[in-house]
Parts: sequence; C-alpha cells; structure tokens
Amino acid sequence: MTEPLAALPDEELTVLDLADRLLNRGVVLAGEATISVAGVDLIYLGLNVILTAVETIAQHERRTR
Amino acid sequence: MSRYLAHVVARTGGAPPPAGLRGLPLRWLDGGDLGIWATEWSAEPTLTREDAFAHHDLVGVLCDGAPCLPVRFGTWLADERAARRSIEAAHERFAAALDRVGDRQEVAVTLLWRDALSPEGRGHAVASSGTAFLERRRAAHAATDERRREAEALAARLGSLLAADQADVRHETCPSDEVALSMSLLARRGEAEALKARAATMVAGLSGVRGVVSGPWPPYSFSEELGATGGR
Repeated sequence: MTEPLAALPDEELTVLDLADRLLNRGVVLAGEATISVAGVDLIYLGLNVILTAVETIAQHERRTR
Repeated sequence: MSRYLAHVVARTGGAPPPAGLRGLPLRWLDGGDLGIWATEWSAEPTLTREDAFAHHDLVGVLCDGAPCLPVRFGTWLADERAARRSIEAAHERFAAALDRVGDRQEVAVTLLWRDALSPEGRGHAVASSGTAFLERRRAAHAATDERRREAEALAARLGSLLAADQADVRHETCPSDEVALSMSLLARRGEAEALKARAATMVAGLSGVRGVVSGPWPPYSFSEELGATGGR
C-alpha cells in the first residue's frame, strides 16, 4: 500500500504541484513545434491530464526513496 | 543541426539572462513584435527532471525581467522560422494574454482529502453477488457525487473569498481519488505573497481536507488556453 498524498510533507507536495504545471500547463505552441519529454521520469500523459501525473510522480518518488 | 527548447513567449526587447539550460546559449527567436526565448542545443537531448526545474527557474528570471508567457516544458523548435510560424498562428491571443497575465503571478492551492475513499467507496471491492455488486456501485457513485459536491463547495468558497474577479481563478475538482481541488489564483506582482498568506490561513481552517499553498510562480495555468489545442 502506498503512502497517501495527504501524508507527504508540504515541500514535497509543492514540488509535485509545480511539476504538474511544468508538464501539463503553459503555452502550447502551434505549427512546427513539438513536445518531447520522453526522457523525463516525471511522466507526461496528455494535455488535459492533471494531478494524475502528480500522483504518478509521487509513486515514483516513493519507489526511489 | 541546432534545436531550440522554448521557455517563454515575450515582446521584443529586454535583457536576457546570461545562459540557458545546462549553461548553453540562450537565444531570442524573433517572431516580429513577439518572440521566444529558447535554449540552443546542438542536438535534441534526453531531458531530465533537473532540466524541468531549471526551466522553471529560468522562466522565473525571464518573467521577472519583462512580461512573459511560460511555454510548456519540453517544447522544441527547429529554427527561427518555426518560432515565427508558431507565433503567427496565435499572435493576437499571445499579445492579448501578455497584456492580461504577462506581468502576473500564480498561486497554487491544492486540497487533499484527509480520508481518501476506500476501495468500497470507489466501487473497487469484489462483490459476492450481482445484487451486492449493483448496490456497491450505487453506493460508490453516491459517495463520489457527494465528494464532488463538497469539492465544488470548497472551490466556490475559496474562489469567492480569495479572488475579486472569478476570471482570475482556474480550478478542477476531484482530478483524482486523493485530490479534492486543484486551484490556481492569478495575482498582480507585489500582491501574490499576500494572496498566498491569505490562502494559507483559509485552507488551514478547512475541515476534512489538507491544504497546500504554493508559489508565487509564473502564470502557467493561465497561459495554457492560448495554444492550438486549447485548455480547460
């Protein structure tokens, strides 16, 4: 059983919240721009996926502690 | 052949920071009266977690210097021509957004349920019969609906108390089992820290949820709707 998000320290939750914004929000450039973060272990899922990505990150961090 | 990792859309001019990610050159990709600050790479690398947060730091520095729209991390451009075409495709929206949010900051409020729904509450329990299955599903739907109503009430309460203009608030309720609310509040520079303090005081008084207030950050959540694929 994984630790619930509500049990994580504030600092860690802030990092997860920020990661969600970096990966899932911000201007999406049209035309010839491409989005590629395949190597980022924070898992980018899709343009409208929020906080599910955060939870994925949290699970990753728990595994790597 | 160079590749460019985009950081922000901005108006022409302004002093750039000395370097891009990993100490690489930071380039201004000119798109007329607007342009894009981007790190120049000799080849497209595998980006890392550290790059993501370095991008955030750089966006912060750029936004401190001039109104900017943060670009989604991981956005690559082949050359200046590609940057120009990307700007031309949404020029009016970028210009309007720079006026509206370019010199503002975002405060993030995330509320987490203190007691996440049990597997039964989410309808994931194994049922012993068809009737039991249907009853559990009905109970699960009722529990989920109740949670959503609670979350919407929390969003309305926080939004009305923290933001004078509802256009300055973005939120999503129950984006996952553990999260009640993800909210972003837009504030003028110089007022964001005070808004953050007010939000922290408010969420500390909420029952049933744990609140985390973060930022101020560049206006990520208020820039996303500007792209070709739209937003929430």
